[in-house]
Amino acid sequence: MNLDFTQFVPNIPYILQGILVTLKFVSVSAIVGFVLGTILALFKIGRVKILSWIADAYTSVFRGTPLILQLLLFYHATPQLTGYDISAFEAGVLSFGLNSAAYISEIIRAGIRAVDTGQNEAAAALGIPYRPMMKDIILPQAMKNILPALMNEFITLTKESAIVSVIGVFDIMRRSQIVAAEKFKYFEPLLIAGVIYYLLVMILTLAGKMVERRMSRSD
Amino acid sequence: MIKIENLQKNFGQNEVLSGITTEINKGEVVAIVGPSGSGKSTLLRCMNQLEELTSGTIWIDDQQLNDSKTNVMELRQKIGMVFQHFHLFPHKTVLENLIYAPMKVKGEGKEEAESKAHQLLDQVGLSMKADEYPKRLSGGQKQRVAIARALAMEPEYMLFDEPTSALDPEMVKEVLDVMKLLGTTGMTMVIVTHEMAFAREAADRVLFLDEGKLVEENSPSEFFNEPKTERAKAFLDKVL
Repeated sequence: MNLDFTQFVPNIPYILQGILVTLKFVSVSAIVGFVLGTILALFKIGRVKILSWIADAYTSVFRGTPLILQLLLFYHATPQLTGYDISAFEAGVLSFGLNSAAYISEIIRAGIRAVDTGQNEAAAALGIPYRPMMKDIILPQAMKNILPALMNEFITLTKESAIVSVIGVFDIMRRSQIVAAEKFKYFEPLLIAGVIYYLLVMILTLAGKMVERRMSRSD
Repeated sequence: MIKIENLQKNFGQNEVLSGITTEINKGEVVAIVGPSGSGKSTLLRCMNQLEELTSGTIWIDDQQLNDSKTNVMELRQKIGMVFQHFHLFPHKTVLENLIYAPMKVKGEGKEEAESKAHQLLDQVGLSMKADEYPKRLSGGQKQRVAIARALAMEPEYMLFDEPTSALDPEMVKEVLDVMKLLGTTGMTMVIVTHEMAFAREAADRVLFLDEGKLVEENSPSEFFNEPKTERAKAFLDKVL
């Protein structure tokens, strides 16, 4: 066993720059996923049959096929079908955002369902219309049920984001692979990447716990 | 006036209410009593369309409640409701529970809504709990807040769906006292209850339901002393 981290010290800043790329990628994907996921969840619980059917079909397709396949499709098929030269970042955000929207919509749907139906009735009895009822009464309560699962989804997203390295986004993963290929030594740079991912996930976990604590003020 | 004509309500194949016809006049306190499963709560919930009628009509003053042209949301502002399980908004403080609907639905200003809320909390004896969250309240306190929340909309009618059934025995009285007081102010109240003593004392009229039918309508004194129907007699023998 001949481990030698010192020879990688000059490469560390290069790998670290990947953090920004990964973070930017993950946060844009998370926002896309959350917004679209919320809309899909509202479709699912709503009374308009066609909308809930669309949302269910959407979820079924995006959960039923591999993420890497969706990624490659967006990246390679978009230029072929539309002539638009999609960047690796755009294709990545699109596929990750759309994919996590499917999962997030299920999380939110379950969270809304878990709110006591008495809350809907109390709001209805007070003459509160559907939109403010959802926004001010139901969703804030659902958020408490949703948050742990949502945090989990964001953590998964952060880790899985490493897959975008296959279409050439210069994230943490890709950079460590480039360094490895340069020196024909794989263990150390991959270990460095692993430590970085782990720290990112820990920070996310802590942030999630803090938000959860804030939200349980009324308990 | 709430006017119910030939009301029928089915849940699937199951006929829960049939041929209910009655009127509830302004200022009246009406108690609905009867065995479990007789359709009392369903009848009450039809009065603000938390349940849709299968057939028949309900009029609230001059507006037909179950008419597609009627704005039910608007009509519900006139009809306060208190539930067995309170259904306070758990993520809002007591004060926020009281001011939310008046501000959002009736467009009241914050100051106006808050001063009215404090007055109502005072009325139900809970002014010191304004900034608490519902979790911190006892069952009786929650129900009194729920009454105040309904009153904050300044309704003309109040519906009570077994308001004391989920309470520990020692908290029943504090809620009934608030309701009695409300009855004396001229509020029109319809109360589904198992509290016979309360029905006898506070109601102007008793509706007795059994198996989805309005079996007897009577004054409390007659209903409890010499009921007209055998079924009411049998029921009272069991509960009194």
